Amino acid sequence: MRVILESKVRKKPTIPIEAESIIPRNFLKGTDLMVYEGNKERTLSELFWIFVEGTAVSPENIEVVLKGDASRIKRVGEYMDTGSILITGDIGMHCGNFMSGGTIEILGNADAWLGREMRGGMILCRGNAGHYCATGYRGEKKGMQGGKVEVLGNAGDFCAEYLAGGEVHVHGSTGDFPGVEMRGGRLTIGRDATRPCANMKDGTCVVLGNVHEMIPTFEKIDRRVLPEWKIIADVYKGDVANRGKGTLMVKIPGAA
Amino acid sequence: MTELLVKNACVIDPIQGINGEIMDIAIRDGRIVESVSDRAEVIDAQRCLTLPGGIDSHTHVCGTKVNFGRYMSPEDMRAGRTQRRGRMHVTSGYYVPTTFGNSYRYSAMGYTTLLEGAMAPLEARHTHEEFTATPHQDMLANTLFDGNWAVMDAVREKNIKKTAAIVGWTLNAIKGYAIKLTNPGGTEAWGWGEDLTSIHDQVPHFEVTPAEIITAMIQANELLKLPHSVHLHCNNLGKPGNYQTTLDTFELVPDLNPDRQTLYATHVQFHAYGGRTWRNICSKAEEITRSVNSKPQIVMDMGQIMFCRTMTMTADGPMEFNLHCLHHNKWSNHDVELETGSGIIPVTYSKKSAVNCIMWAIGLELALLTKSPWQCLLETDNPNGAPFVKYPEVIGLLMSKRYRDEECATLHPDTEGNTSLCALEREMDWHDIAVMTRAGQAKALGIINQGKGHLGTGAEADIAIYPIRTDSVDPAREYRKVVEGFQKTRYTIKRGRVVSQDGEIIVDGANATFWANAKIPEDIRVDNDPEFIRRFQEFYTVRMSNYPVQEIYLPRGRRVDTEAFT
Repeated sequence: MRVILESKVRKKPTIPIEAESIIPRNFLKGTDLMVYEGNKERTLSELFWIFVEGTAVSPENIEVVLKGDASRIKRVGEYMDTGSILITGDIGMHCGNFMSGGTIEILGNADAWLGREMRGGMILCRGNAGHYCATGYRGEKKGMQGGKVEVLGNAGDFCAEYLAGGEVHVHGSTGDFPGVEMRGGRLTIGRDATRPCANMKDGTCVVLGNVHEMIPTFEKIDRRVLPEWKIIADVYKGDVANRGKGTLMVKIPGAA
Repeated sequence: MTELLVKNACVIDPIQGINGEIMDIAIRDGRIVESVSDRAEVIDAQRCLTLPGGIDSHTHVCGTKVNFGRYMSPEDMRAGRTQRRGRMHVTSGYYVPTTFGNSYRYSAMGYTTLLEGAMAPLEARHTHEEFTATPHQDMLANTLFDGNWAVMDAVREKNIKKTAAIVGWTLNAIKGYAIKLTNPGGTEAWGWGEDLTSIHDQVPHFEVTPAEIITAMIQANELLKLPHSVHLHCNNLGKPGNYQTTLDTFELVPDLNPDRQTLYATHVQFHAYGGRTWRNICSKAEEITRSVNSKPQIVMDMGQIMFCRTMTMTADGPMEFNLHCLHHNKWSNHDVELETGSGIIPVTYSKKSAVNCIMWAIGLELALLTKSPWQCLLETDNPNGAPFVKYPEVIGLLMSKRYRDEECATLHPDTEGNTSLCALEREMDWHDIAVMTRAGQAKALGIINQGKGHLGTGAEADIAIYPIRTDSVDPAREYRKVVEGFQKTRYTIKRGRVVSQDGEIIVDGANATFWANAKIPEDIRVDNDPEFIRRFQEFYTVRMSNYPVQEIYLPRGRRVDTEAFT
């Protein structure tokens, strides 16, 4: 079954919509779901043109497609556990919070907090991701714990903060402090990163571009060929300041 | 004119000397009066236990530090959420709830007045803003002076008048109520990377010792004739063997005031440890209470811990750093310019930990071994020892030996050898509990004259009616009923209005904030002192003219004037 939600033109398009009810499982029983626009409760049909194609008996066969301007729609796919969501444009903050299964594909850019505290499943963002991509919430001790987040563009600051499990792959560059306070899992950055992995405890981070302002409390232990990426990389252990046992691998500039 | 008549109330009012009398209480326009007309609204208390509104004399519910605790714990904000319902705002949080959450839960437990345990003067505005959002309790703010540079300079010069003038000016400027010393000198030393281990160590760069600060502040407090005494969080909190520091501190305290204590020592449980390391920590509650029993000038509160997950927050930065080194948990440390600092770290008190079990026992020992309930008040240093919603359980434990024995049986086996709790037979009665939860607080805080803590004619009509029949409940056996009864009042009346009924909040509430204003003679006022002004302008990040909290921050401020220096 495919549910297509095409956002209507709103009088005040900047008012955020809190749409944690948009997850595939909820469409099994119909489309009369409630969301908040600002502080007003709305039915889905007030904000979207809804088209349903086919039927489904179980939620894993449901695909939700968000069309039109979704850049102010927050919390799409929160606590999603199965099925799939396709977003044809940009998506607002907190997409895929606490997600534990299923897939989300974003053809445009994602705003901040993409895949926050994710536990499983897969998010593919074909554009850029905002700050705090695949992280924990502020004050939380664990970030993403499982699943995979792949960003084909760049990611903002604090990407994969408190990463504790699962895999984050940013094909472009990241902003400041990617992988800060990492506890586990795997972070791969395709291009440049600034101050990666500060205070990391465990886990692995690979930077395939340049590192700006390398944190001084990392100990270089090896130089290794990474056949997976066809590069030679310096291998660091750290963050020594926090008695961390994480691994940070940085491509040697020029070497291929 | 609004009138209310509470009929058939079984009143315990220690300040008035009423113990379990069945009587009617007449209320007009928020005050208790002799009688009301026939048109008065009537509440039938059905012979239930009726006490003056509860007073918490040391709690952390408002201010930057509490708010930082909220930032730090999204897990807590997710834990206890209630929807908007009737008059009630949305609330969230369990050990660091939102201000409305605090207010509603306190109100449901019959509490109508709270003293915020530690307000940094520089961050007073935030605290006052949160006070206005705690609508069902009248608020008072302890003001931190433990590392105040101007105060320490005046103490070094042994100039008590100047010390008093600085304190008086600051309290007036930021609308504080009393002097709070948190690890005096220690937090400032920590700011310079050092730690004080006794009250006779010198604070670096200031050449004063904690003992000198405490003594001078006690004298300054009495010179200003402030309603409350110095409110002290002793040095060396939470270190094994710290009971000696506490006893040394108590020895410094003269008896200067006939109406109330001269020193209020807070959360003494955290300051009553023997032993040398965490492995051989033991209770020294007997030594502490022996000292307190012989010194009527000292009032302390329990600082009871309960087994649960909670958040510690204090102006005692170095202590919180030590705690962080113990737990490796998330933490925060904060320096407040020329004044103080703070630290915040979550903890879980567990029955599997011998140390936690001993701490739990010490708190109860302190209360049970102190002869006069007026000298050991009930609190948990909310949320440091436990969230205040645990008070009813503490009451149950104090009233029932059987409850204590049942709890002791589930504790770590090392508890019994290191404490004497199991040997204590004392069971408190309803009167003792009334003293420890409201009358004692009113007296210690000096707010009896403000109409708090009693039900005499002219008093503010703050009343808590609990669904407990004292004649038919035996607290020693039926402690469960006691705990349940104290968790939810049948009616909580605040200034003559029923604000909470069976735990439901039914009005919006409008609290008052009490603050102390000491009249200081012109010639020693520090705002006329060019040297004070120069140092202020040089070292603070704010201008002296922007420092005072405007009256607009206290929509219902109540000034308590004192004739200082007379």
